[in-house]
Amino acid sequence: MTPESTPNVQKAIDILTKHTDSKLLTHLNACVHCGLCETSCLFYKTFQESKYIPGKKVDTVSSIYRRYCTLLGRTAPKLTHARELDDETITEMVDSLFGACTMCGRCVKHCSIGVDIPFVVRTGRRMLAAMGKVPQTLQATVDAAIQTGNNMGIPTEDFVDTIEWMQEDLQDELGENATIPLNEEGKEILYTLNPREPKFFPLSIAAAAKIFYAAGASWTLSTEMYDVTNYGYFSGNDEEATAIAKKMFDEVHKLKCNTLVLGECGHGSRALRWEAPNYLKTHPDFKMVTLIEQLEEYIKTGRIKVDKTLNTKKYTIHDPCNIVRNGGLYNSLRYVTRQVVSDFVEMAPYGSDNFCCGGGGGMLAMSEYNERRLKVGKIKADQIAATGAQVVITPCHNCVDQLMQINHEYKLNVEIKSLAEVVADALVL
Amino acid sequence: MANINYEGKTYEMDGDGFMLKPEEWTEGLAAEIAKEDGINELTENHWKILHCIRENYEEKGIAPMVRVICKASGLKLKEIYELFPLGPARGACRVAGLPKPEGCV
Repeated sequence: MTPESTPNVQKAIDILTKHTDSKLLTHLNACVHCGLCETSCLFYKTFQESKYIPGKKVDTVSSIYRRYCTLLGRTAPKLTHARELDDETITEMVDSLFGACTMCGRCVKHCSIGVDIPFVVRTGRRMLAAMGKVPQTLQATVDAAIQTGNNMGIPTEDFVDTIEWMQEDLQDELGENATIPLNEEGKEILYTLNPREPKFFPLSIAAAAKIFYAAGASWTLSTEMYDVTNYGYFSGNDEEATAIAKKMFDEVHKLKCNTLVLGECGHGSRALRWEAPNYLKTHPDFKMVTLIEQLEEYIKTGRIKVDKTLNTKKYTIHDPCNIVRNGGLYNSLRYVTRQVVSDFVEMAPYGSDNFCCGGGGGMLAMSEYNERRLKVGKIKADQIAATGAQVVITPCHNCVDQLMQINHEYKLNVEIKSLAEVVADALVL
Repeated sequence: MANINYEGKTYEMDGDGFMLKPEEWTEGLAAEIAKEDGINELTENHWKILHCIRENYEEKGIAPMVRVICKASGLKLKEIYELFPLGPARGACRVAGLPKPEGCV
């Protein structure tokens, strides 16, 4: 197969040649094959096969670059280990870049020269997306978001019904002034959710609403665009990632809110806060913070009062990769947690060196890799078991789902909670 | 997850153990799937949840909101999470023979 004979392959090569800065070339050509990334990776640690080494994943993409974009690679490919982008290579790329990488970035911290390995992996995913090779299971999640406005395809009336239900419960506890506003214009905050909250686990919505009530916040949810996720970030289709991000920016403008508060979702926070300005080629003209930072501000300024003795169990934190290692919110997450629980223990390792839960990178959506995902999750299961904690806090609903599964699979017998739930339990009203 | 052999028939499952052919589901098979999740006996309350999910799926082609499950079964959220420790999606919907819902589940 040559790029000339297959237009889709040419589209993939174009991604390697048409770039706006030198970052891609630098990171494609910088690996010194030291091997330090090996044991940083969940997949290599679990399966001990060379195809799972992060540097090997980078080499797969750079070998294609050499084949089509360098003189030596074009004329004498074998000399430079340059590879043809043929069916065999494509199959291997799908398996290693989609099926054996959560884009957690732990390898970057262990890399001797700081190659941005998930960036190269995502470049490989972009190439696959250009050729229509995104796993159908992952693509279905992107399609649902584009077609219905949320990645689970929840009809608006079902969403509203669930929010009203949570509001009734809240009002039973706190009185009629405790509301969950919908589509209200001119509020300070537009709050966002992971669709699995309204669909299956709505208590975290009630928890956030209770906190906003306690803080006297001016806030609203939107019924049109409440989904904080962006699976286009994982699929590698930039047009779709851009369309999803644009919808959220437009909603903030439409409802005339000052601050977009990103619900508890690691990749969604990353995609909106750090990636969307690149997709949309604009800086947001509104403030954008995660719920974690909003909670930190409420506690520090005394807008909410919390009592850590109300949470009596032993707690640990699972640091979502895109919130802590790749999002820089280690201090905020620790500050809030230490204000609301009295018995706290860290995992080993933790913070920016923490292991991914195994469910990142779109893995949860891709059923074909379920067995692999649960196997790599054993590293996290062992970490949790070693802490002796009864409750694992994690500010990411994607991590919550993977942790629930490994909790069951490895019989950890712990509770998994979002940060909002733990803060709401410590509120003094 | 592996396909399930039950009463001389092989049922095809996706990688997450959700049914690829939901129309082949039977109540007997539900008990078999539930055993994989450590639920050895499906009680009356389990069945209230499963029937609601099944009816919703057959009518609308999607898994119901947990709100709908609570209303139809008369059970509290906490009870649903206790009856199906893997939650309404990976737990109850899988036992009810639905295909895997999209998103972070």
